[in-house]
Amino acid sequence: MPMSTIKRMSNILWHQYKTIFAHYPLALMGLVGVGLFILVALLAPWIAPQNPYDLMTLDIMDGLLPPMSKLGTGTTAWLGTDAVGRDILSTVMYGLRISLFVAFSAVIVGTILGVLLGLLAALKGGWIETIIMRAVDLKVSFPGILLALMLLAMFGTGVDKVIYALIIGTWASKARLTRSSALSEMQKEYIDAARLAGLANWRIMLRFLLPNSIAPVLVMLPMSLSGAIGAEATLSFLGVGVPITEPSLGLLIANGNDYLLSGKWWISIVPGLVLVALVLCINVVADRIREHNNPFLQPRG
Amino acid sequence: MMNSSILLEINNLSVSYPLAKQEDEDDAVDFFALKNISITVNAGQIVGVVGESGAGKSTIGKAILGLLDPRAVVNSGQILMQNKDLLSSTESALETLRGRQIGYIYQNPMTALNPVLTIGEQVIEAIEANTDMAGAKAKAYAIKLLQQADVSMAEDRLSKYPHQLSGGLCQRIVFAIAIAAKPQLIIADEPTTALDVTVQKSVLETLLKLSRRNNVAVILITHDMGVVAEMCEYLYVLRHGQHVEQAPTATLINHPKHAYSQALMASVPRIEKRIERFVLPQAEQATIANAALEYLLDKQVDTDVAEVPVLEVKRLAKIFTTPASLFKPKQDFCAVKDVSFQVHKGETVGIVGESGSGKSTIGRLILGLHEITEGQVIYRGQNLATLTDPKDRRDLCLSMQCIFQDPYSSLNPRMTAGENITYGLKVHGLIGAHQAKRLAQDLMQLVGLQPLDSDKMPNAFSGGERQRIGIARALGYKPDFIFCDEPTSALDVSVQAELLNLLKDLQQQLDLTLLFVSHDLAVIRQMCDRVIVMKDGEALEQGDNDAIFEQPQHPYTKQLLSSMPRLTQLQ
Repeated sequence: MPMSTIKRMSNILWHQYKTIFAHYPLALMGLVGVGLFILVALLAPWIAPQNPYDLMTLDIMDGLLPPMSKLGTGTTAWLGTDAVGRDILSTVMYGLRISLFVAFSAVIVGTILGVLLGLLAALKGGWIETIIMRAVDLKVSFPGILLALMLLAMFGTGVDKVIYALIIGTWASKARLTRSSALSEMQKEYIDAARLAGLANWRIMLRFLLPNSIAPVLVMLPMSLSGAIGAEATLSFLGVGVPITEPSLGLLIANGNDYLLSGKWWISIVPGLVLVALVLCINVVADRIREHNNPFLQPRG
Repeated sequence: MMNSSILLEINNLSVSYPLAKQEDEDDAVDFFALKNISITVNAGQIVGVVGESGAGKSTIGKAILGLLDPRAVVNSGQILMQNKDLLSSTESALETLRGRQIGYIYQNPMTALNPVLTIGEQVIEAIEANTDMAGAKAKAYAIKLLQQADVSMAEDRLSKYPHQLSGGLCQRIVFAIAIAAKPQLIIADEPTTALDVTVQKSVLETLLKLSRRNNVAVILITHDMGVVAEMCEYLYVLRHGQHVEQAPTATLINHPKHAYSQALMASVPRIEKRIERFVLPQAEQATIANAALEYLLDKQVDTDVAEVPVLEVKRLAKIFTTPASLFKPKQDFCAVKDVSFQVHKGETVGIVGESGSGKSTIGRLILGLHEITEGQVIYRGQNLATLTDPKDRRDLCLSMQCIFQDPYSSLNPRMTAGENITYGLKVHGLIGAHQAKRLAQDLMQLVGLQPLDSDKMPNAFSGGERQRIGIARALGYKPDFIFCDEPTSALDVSVQAELLNLLKDLQQQLDLTLLFVSHDLAVIRQMCDRVIVMKDGEALEQGDNDAIFEQPQHPYTKQLLSSMPRLTQLQ
């Protein structure tokens, strides 16, 4: 990509950022929150007080300590510890890492897949379109969580399996959305012009259709992200998600579930609050982006 | 009937839209839609307000009715209707005024009527809202109104829905609603722009008749000089919201004083005689010889094919089939029926016809954008359908290009102007990546644009400029044949004149062969050597320009020509 294109893109992004978030403090706070969560997740190995999955650093004597307790090693467990003496703050930081990784990879792959299939359906029509769109109908007719449970029951559990299940959950709505906007772009004369220029179908798809019909999908993206985080947490809570060696926020909540009634609230509540805060931040940002892109929701100035 | 009492007086009206101020530009000036406009309408008089897009014509109509956009600010002026200022009237006073004293006719009748109510319900609703009549009496009056508006079988129409009627009939129904309460003034905002020319003529006649019979004044807002010439007694010319000139119609059209009116009149394509070029006041640069011209002229000429026609269309037919579904059997629609013609080197052949006549479909069949149902397209002596060698086929196809109708959708909005022009050339390796930018700039200069604007995105250009980019894109493939699909129908008349001049110049310099499709007889008259008249997919008449326009043979051609509003009728 030439420098001029990169510069133009970054200009557009900066301008977009300004028009979307300037004068909307709540959305800006959400954006800052999302940024912080991502930063914490990325830097977890360096900033977490302990590595909760290194058995050497754990001491069973530190188990089930309430928040602000001193550990055997002399450090303070600000948010308490779980049954095997893991520092909750550290487990949440590491859990955030898994949750975000799973959600991001599933949404990105699922979106790419869905967008490409949607474009293909719009461009090719005929039986290709029929197959793709009926597959979409089939997927949409299952409740999402049921479908994921069925898939995980078939595949078995594991981080990769959860990602597959979530990809299968995301692609369909993207395919449908992309197809409908691509179909209206197909009516426009620049597509005819591209055909007259003798361009191959894949070029028309990627250089002409894709950039002009992707906008609604991009608007939906943050919303799918928070949906995927929630879905992954649900699956993990139910015990069919990520394995115990790589716990996500959902599994951490499940982990403390047994202790909730015995007054050891911090084991579940802390990861739960983090999950809520994360999804809330993303949704606030998503709402603002959606509002910005839908002129009917904009206040008249 | 005529009395010269003043019905409506607009004094020094200014309307502006405050611009949302960006942080980085402090000097953002409010946009003035109207600036110090004064208009006087006498009772029963038909007054025309003309101007190109952005002139503020429609804002006048909305201001009179108090229907301006909430963001609009009235900076100064008065609108006096029988000495009562409408601008200072309350909303409820205006509400009784609308419909009762002032009727409004919209540009697109299909969207002005409510699609889920029958015609009867809509007309009767208007009658009951604005008069004392109700029930059976209102229904009888509705029938009478429709008859006045020349709606045939008025009684049957009451139970129909808008989509069951043609655009012309719908507009007559809008007329009937507008005159229901016997208003003194009708504001008609581009009432016939959405209609075909033959329909336009009879709809305008109805409007004229209604105005005469009921002594209703009409403010006719339009961009079409032909329409005002036939309809109006007095004209106001506007430009960018400012008053340009006002005069009785005949004076203004035959002896415009202001430079802009003169330019406007010179831009209007005339149907009476063919001229070499439009004479425009600012002499646009005649295309200058530059590097692009060298590039374009550097192509191999097959001497042996010089004899055969560039394009030969033999018994072409196109049937569109809607596939059978569960509830409907499959339906065939014959868009083009058995059309044959030839286009010779360097010639411009025009296809003229109303909407749905199949004129654009022919072009799309020739270009290969639709599949041919029957018949043949022979291009430079070769039948494209049977050509197998992919390289020959590609080269042949690339030398046929198209200039599209809608400049707002014919460029890829996510590519710069330059990329739009050269993308295909680069893909096919016809030019190197490093030459592309240079070529794009040269081509843009050739079509009269700033070469350095090649880095701008399409949305930075106006409609006319975009159309020029589209022409540059077509030229890049060194075409022999260009299909022009209503290339100027979305443009203002002055821009149209510039563009038609450009096309003529390019054709001369590059020896281009053009197939020019338009619904506008006057444009066809000015551009084409030979003309094909089409209706409902059939070619009714073919002939030389002068023959078609001066001695039309087919009754439909005669009807088309007589429907065309003419500027000369005034003299």
